[in-house]
Amino acid sequence: MKISVVSNILEANDRIAAENKALFDERGIYAVNIMSSPGAGKTSLVEKTVEALGDRFRIAVIEGDIQDTCDAERVARLGIPVVQINTGGACHIDGNMVRGALSSLDLDGVRLLIVENVGNLVCPAEFKLGEHAKVMLLSTPEGADKPAKYPLMFQESSVLLINKTDLLPYVDFDMAKARRDALAINRNLRIFEISCKNAEGLEGWYGWLSGEIESTRKR
Amino acid sequence: MHEISLASSLLDIINEQAAKHRFNRVNAVKLSLGCASSVEPKALEFAFSVQAQGTIADGASLRFEMQPVVHYCFSCRRDHSAEVFSSVCAFCGSEDVILTGGTEELRLLELDVD
Repeated sequence: MKISVVSNILEANDRIAAENKALFDERGIYAVNIMSSPGAGKTSLVEKTVEALGDRFRIAVIEGDIQDTCDAERVARLGIPVVQINTGGACHIDGNMVRGALSSLDLDGVRLLIVENVGNLVCPAEFKLGEHAKVMLLSTPEGADKPAKYPLMFQESSVLLINKTDLLPYVDFDMAKARRDALAINRNLRIFEISCKNAEGLEGWYGWLSGEIESTRKR
Repeated sequence: MHEISLASSLLDIINEQAAKHRFNRVNAVKLSLGCASSVEPKALEFAFSVQAQGTIADGASLRFEMQPVVHYCFSCRRDHSAEVFSSVCAFCGSEDVILTGGTEELRLLELDVD
């Protein structure tokens, strides 16, 4: 006997993500999911962003790592609410892990929630967390072939930050190709070239993010 | 690695369907998947076969309907299907190309059951 089902395999995760999003919307919280390879600079980006926008908006952070809490400790030094998810081997954060983490975060007055995903260009793209935007961080030493190799990640993201532009003189990174491929995959992608090291180009990212937060009002 | 989570979600859906349609055995599972969706069919098959042991889906085969990567070229206005993405048009060499298909998420289409 054949039974026609037609169901998205990640339906259960999508449902939990939608519940998370409803909670964010109710509280007027703008949530971003930051994804990249390991070592592209996600935690540095979080630190810079908190330093730049922390006076204007109350920010909370969820740190996702397979193990260890050193990222959460780095962020906690900035004096903001932070919770660490240790996935214990899983290569991504899912909606349920974020739901669990939210219960141990003080969300009072929080306007921006940053979720730093596990460093991985494959799996995190598929698992919705309830975020308003996915932000993809690509660093120049990784090479310009990443959009073509991992199209889903670039298709799912609203923003692409090309980090470590301070290293451009030392690495063979074809900026034109990276931009072309990324835009062929996702015409609506906003691209900012940045360096978390020397802070170049970060104003564009701060401006975009502030605009998004300000347009999110408590329901 | 995410294939482990996907296999586990697939088994959950199969169990829900078994409770609804009252079947005791799954022979085959038909799935649909984009070529550029970054799910590896072989890894999914392995993860599924391990997790299905001792369940009604033990020994069930997975069949994949792969959705091709589809490009559209704004210069020659043609669609081009391939297994992998390229930002250069395969017909005219233009770089004014967009991806229009191939990243479809894993979906369950049909169960063959007894």
